Amino acid sequence: MMYNIFHLRREFIKMAQFSLPQNSKIEVGNYYKDKTNSKNLKKVNVYRWDPSNGKNPRIDTFEVDMDNCGPKVLDVLFKIKNEIDPSITFRRSCAHGVCGSCAMNIDGVNGLACIKSHEDIKGDLNVYPLPHLKVVKDLIGDLTTLYKQYESIQPWLKVDQTGQEKIELKQSQKDREKLDGYYECILCACCSTSCPSYWWNGDKYLGPAVLLQAYRWINDSRDGDKKERLKKVADELKLYRCHTIMNCTNSCPKGLNPAKAIGSIKKMLATS
Amino acid sequence: MQNNNPLSPHLQIYKWHISSLLSITHRIVGVVNFFAFITICFWTITLLFGENSYQPIEIFLHSAFGKFFAITLCWTFSFHIVNEVRHLFWDAGFGFELKAANISGILALTGSFILTILLYIIGKNFF
Repeated sequence: MMYNIFHLRREFIKMAQFSLPQNSKIEVGNYYKDKTNSKNLKKVNVYRWDPSNGKNPRIDTFEVDMDNCGPKVLDVLFKIKNEIDPSITFRRSCAHGVCGSCAMNIDGVNGLACIKSHEDIKGDLNVYPLPHLKVVKDLIGDLTTLYKQYESIQPWLKVDQTGQEKIELKQSQKDREKLDGYYECILCACCSTSCPSYWWNGDKYLGPAVLLQAYRWINDSRDGDKKERLKKVADELKLYRCHTIMNCTNSCPKGLNPAKAIGSIKKMLATS
Repeated sequence: MQNNNPLSPHLQIYKWHISSLLSITHRIVGVVNFFAFITICFWTITLLFGENSYQPIEIFLHSAFGKFFAITLCWTFSFHIVNEVRHLFWDAGFGFELKAANISGILALTGSFILTILLYIIGKNFF
């Protein structure tokens, strides 16, 4: 009983942790003045944290010459890295919205830097790492928990075949169409890290990205483990922490609808 | 191993959408309603104890602050009811598209104000 009370109290304190911990408070950083004498400047505020010096994170402001810059936010970041401060750190790979590496918080909404146009953003450009993650360096957040959760839903086809049959697993066109809007997910984590429920319960709640993937496998006509998958996900914390806040759908750079996927799982559970 | 790296900012930087704003309002209003219901139950009990115990609340509700209090509760009830209808549609699998969710959100908000006015007028004129 005593344990329960303390446990509840701790949970409550954890729940009420809406502000940033002391070591995460953001300080004012360096100001890099423009040296090109350009008339078309944009101020770019970038979240910086260097793991090597033990200091708090800071916001550096760069004045960037927009007349000689590519159209996307990733181009701005590269321009800063190439011409102003080579130590700025971010992830990127394909630069075409396919790999999901450059997911970050741009102007208050999560998105992919490589497909987000900086002209859409009026005023200063604010760039932060994905929200509520442990920062590895600058704009890189630690997604280990999310990947573990992804592994936990067993994202592969489960069938009774042993592999000896040499029979193709066929799927009708209609069944294949059921995966549209779900198979396109690139696991960039924009949705999961935009979700307040995932912020407060990220260790237990699976989050929109993983639940969308779960639905993709539940919904696959070739999969033989539908019932078991549903049973596994039907959990107060894993699934029902979704309160349809819709931040996920609002932020998905691929235009998918994780909220609908989660709604579909809930409906399947309610009607089966 | 304890990870002492800083936590990236979340609430501090994330932009509000209609959907997220209404979602948190729904929850706050729900808590307010919970306490409001308890208060109304106690108020009803005071009826049993006769005019003397009923009178103070009657006077309070006719003061300017009392009226504000009553109208606020009319709105919290209205909003919770109307937004809950939205949740019912979601539970049935409808209205998840961004456009639909935004429109239904605006409708729920306007609906809650209309219902508040109706509730207040009905309460004032018929009871």
